[in-house]
Amino acid sequence: MLARAPLRPLLAKELREIVSGRALWIMLLLLCPLVGYSFVQAVSLYAEASAGAQGSPVLSRSLSPFDGILVPSFGAFYIGVTLLFPFVAIRALGQEKESGALRLLVQLPYPAPVLIGGKLIAVAVAWVICSVPALSALVAWRLLGGHLAPVETLTLVLGHLLYGLLVGAIALFAAAVTESAATAAIVALAVTIGSWVLDFTLAGRPGLAAWIAQLSLTQALHGFEQGVLSAGLVLGIAVAIAAFAALAAVWLPPGVTVRTKLLRSAGCIVVTAAVLGGVSQVRLAIDVTEDRRNSFAVADERLLVTLAGPLTVTIHLAPEDPRYVDVQRAVFAKLSRVLPDLTIRIVAPHSFAASGSDERYGEIEYAYGSRRDVSRSTSPREILPLIYGLAGVSPPAGAAGDDYPGHPLVTDATPMLAWFCAALPLAIVLAWLIVRRPPRVDPALIKRTTQEEGHATL
Amino acid sequence: MDANTSLHPTIDPVDAGAGALLRVAGLTKRYGDEAALADVTFEVRAGEVLGLIGPNGAGKTTLLETVAGLVPTDAGSVDWRGAPLPRARRRDFMLYMPDGIRPYRDQTVAWVLSFFAGVYRQPTDHVATTIAALELASVLGKRVHSLSKGFNRRLLLALALIAPHPLVLMDEPFDGFDLRQSRAIAAVLRRTAAAGRTFVLAIHQLGDAERVCDRFILLSQGRLRGEGTLDRLRATTRLPAAHLEEIFLALT
Repeated sequence: MLARAPLRPLLAKELREIVSGRALWIMLLLLCPLVGYSFVQAVSLYAEASAGAQGSPVLSRSLSPFDGILVPSFGAFYIGVTLLFPFVAIRALGQEKESGALRLLVQLPYPAPVLIGGKLIAVAVAWVICSVPALSALVAWRLLGGHLAPVETLTLVLGHLLYGLLVGAIALFAAAVTESAATAAIVALAVTIGSWVLDFTLAGRPGLAAWIAQLSLTQALHGFEQGVLSAGLVLGIAVAIAAFAALAAVWLPPGVTVRTKLLRSAGCIVVTAAVLGGVSQVRLAIDVTEDRRNSFAVADERLLVTLAGPLTVTIHLAPEDPRYVDVQRAVFAKLSRVLPDLTIRIVAPHSFAASGSDERYGEIEYAYGSRRDVSRSTSPREILPLIYGLAGVSPPAGAAGDDYPGHPLVTDATPMLAWFCAALPLAIVLAWLIVRRPPRVDPALIKRTTQEEGHATL
Repeated sequence: MDANTSLHPTIDPVDAGAGALLRVAGLTKRYGDEAALADVTFEVRAGEVLGLIGPNGAGKTTLLETVAGLVPTDAGSVDWRGAPLPRARRRDFMLYMPDGIRPYRDQTVAWVLSFFAGVYRQPTDHVATTIAALELASVLGKRVHSLSKGFNRRLLLALALIAPHPLVLMDEPFDGFDLRQSRAIAAVLRRTAAAGRTFVLAIHQLGDAERVCDRFILLSQGRLRGEGTLDRLRATTRLPAAHLEEIFLALT
């Protein structure tokens, strides 16, 4: 029996194969103007808003580079990853399938999960390379004098990394299941674009549509774009990535019957569902935004954490009602991260349109222990005192030091287009040419071969 | 066909010898109603070059791929030195080199050889010996996609020889070579077999097969039509001076 094989040659092969492909470099070249234009447009709008906020501390507080610059710039990167990254990831496996090298690969002394793991690492490296235009937008923003908060920036990058790996894992699975790279691309794009469309068409609708919309890959990014680092979401995406990689490993070996592969896939799906069920119970979430937009004032949070009793909230609003969206974002999303025992129930008609006949529609009931109260407000300024009243505690004193100053900046990023549309693409083409150069043949190998040929001649 | 020649021959104890390296028994593979392989049984002995002979569509590639565990079978077993060898463990003992592949087309020959040597922890000396034996030195810096058919075939042979498996299954190893080249490659294989490695070669050019193989398996329409040394097959067909071509025609 052969000994355990070293991982280094396998990883080196996967990295070399993925960076040798045209798909990665073409995607990079396409991302440059896409991200660059988004960045310049975002800076332009931000500068316009900043000009209007000059001399007004209140208006300045609403100017956050996270919303104004980072999210839109990475939004362009997200479109590129959704539409183009599947082609890059599929190449990691599809090329070997089409050239016949897969039949050699599966005979190498590595288990299928290791083979797929190696490809997933190569896909991750490809994502890092693809993120250069977006990361350079951050550098450009700093060069323009803009402000970046490290934690919220890293959280956004983490979200995009997880999203990219999820798209990559789906593409690897598609390549493992299908016979050709073209079919794999169709399958992967059907998932990525399909879920994108799903997010557009079904989000905000009630019932089953809302549940289906939650399955959209795009939903995975929303939390990060809102500046919330949720342990449940991070673990959930990681589990989904592992699940697609495991399914790819199940479908990789050609010598296994389809029936066996289906049975193993079913087992994989059951285990994934169970783990995801457990992960969904993880409620730890941190507001990483500098302006604490996802949190109450520090004094309120300190007091709310001490409320040990169960708080039950019954909302008489349809999920697509703007008031529900408002109260959910402004109050209950924040409450759910600080209150130890909170239950939220939605009692609503099937649709917003059918709400007219219900007199209680719009009410929100609060029950804390034996005490109850009802309100129609969606503002934390009214809801928090109501909850404090039910709990029998006094509202905290004014939250001094919580104010976010905002980071207005009046600047012009148009010159940066030269970087995104000329210098960076040129650098990418140069890097491509360098990477494509054949590696130097090991001189020791040439010397030994020459000696062997000499012996053969003698 | 000789009246004594069975369509499902059993292993002749005299011909087979005592210790088989690999024993394949009752191997059957169906694609729908069509049997690509029907109850194929044979043995491979250590250190021999076994020729798998048959026309196009005889089932040679399917047989090699099923033995290597790359195609699921409907029935049959594979034993290694008398012990059952599960599909998942076959790559530990044998390497199958398919026909018509161009592995890692964008990489250079030297890189592909180094990759294989790295995976199997083979020393530079072994790689250099293989390169010299297969005359690959002149194309080490070339990309695989730019190789001629003959040099691509040499690369595949080199990969098989660099790998340490005791048994190598090769599909059409002489395809793309002229007579002189075929003789040179046959000599390399014979030397390697003499050093202790075992080869099963699927060959449709009977002249090449006769030149390099110790024993033969004759396959037609997925069925085993004959097995043994050339002398043994001559005796079976009662054609004492016949070449493999005449024997094959007599048995199929």
